[in-house]
Amino acid sequence: MKTSAGSLESSDCLITISDSDKLEIIIESVVFAQFGDQIKEVITNTLKEHKITNILVKCADKGALDYTIKSRLETALKRRGDINE
Amino acid sequence: MSRSYLFIPGNTPSMIQNLDVFESDAVIIDFEDSVTSYDKDSARILIKNFLKKYSYKDIDLYIRINSYDSLYFLEDVKATKDLDINGYVLPKASVKAIEELNKLSSKAIIPIIESPMALLEAKEIADQENVTALLLGAEDYTKELGINRTLLGTEILYARSFIAIVARAYNIDSIDTPYTNKEDEVGLKEDSLNAKNLGFTSKSSIHPNQVDIINQVFSPSKEEITEAKRIVKKALDNTKGAFSLDGKMIDLPIIEKAKNLLDKAKKYNM
Repeated sequence: MKTSAGSLESSDCLITISDSDKLEIIIESVVFAQFGDQIKEVITNTLKEHKITNILVKCADKGALDYTIKSRLETALKRRGDINE
Repeated sequence: MSRSYLFIPGNTPSMIQNLDVFESDAVIIDFEDSVTSYDKDSARILIKNFLKKYSYKDIDLYIRINSYDSLYFLEDVKATKDLDINGYVLPKASVKAIEELNKLSSKAIIPIIESPMALLEAKEIADQENVTALLLGAEDYTKELGINRTLLGTEILYARSFIAIVARAYNIDSIDTPYTNKEDEVGLKEDSLNAKNLGFTSKSSIHPNQVDIINQVFSPSKEEITEAKRIVKKALDNTKGAFSLDGKMIDLPIIEKAKNLLDKAKKYNM
């Protein structure tokens, strides 16, 4: 099942998640060179926080801050039924 | 005692993370009209994570939740009741809706008076626990009356007057409806002055560009501050209940009004 959250507006990101038999994170960002590692860390930590191991996460970033990336991922997870909060 | 209340959309990070640069005394993060049904969950999660990470001591923060009769009311309150906000702005206000909100939270409530029935209930609404201000929502109010809004605002004169009077009678703040033409600065100033002259203590806005004019209009003027200082000083020197200043009789209500004005001026470093 595929769900998404967020947008491609400035300061936001569009997160799309779908089934996978392993953890895969794909990031597209205009600031990938400077912040790619940080974006990946936020996604990884958020998944760990919710004890999710096998999933494909695609993040199209438009300069989102950490709280936005975490929020959009949590919304996509919630829409898929992976978390309840 | 805020002068300005700025609505910002609850699911737009570019606005949310800049809420402290707009110079509005209070910011209302909106979960209602500016957030689509599909994104209500997204807004709740975004604001929860935002307010867990950032705090604002110099700005009053409110969340406009969805109305009591909507599908989203309960979830909105549950998701935000532990956040560091001043309170809730409650659309489509009624006594029943405020009672239900008070069962879920002890935060301040600013009901939006936006229907003829709510206007008739305004006194009872103002008297409810945790209600700290009344906000006029003229767009929905005129829609329910079946009339058009004009920039002059004569069609909402009675509602404005009544809300300002009720709020003052119950010793709470009154917040005027937004001025919807965001390009018209002259009209905004005139509209704000009209509201102030009717007794409103503040005005809401829907665009950051409107904040500066609203703050100017709802701030005490230099002349008002000077006059208030003279009244308070003379009151301190005077042992009688009432006294004369420049030929005018000054009694307790006027002294209290002068003190309130000086408190407001002090709050805004004037």
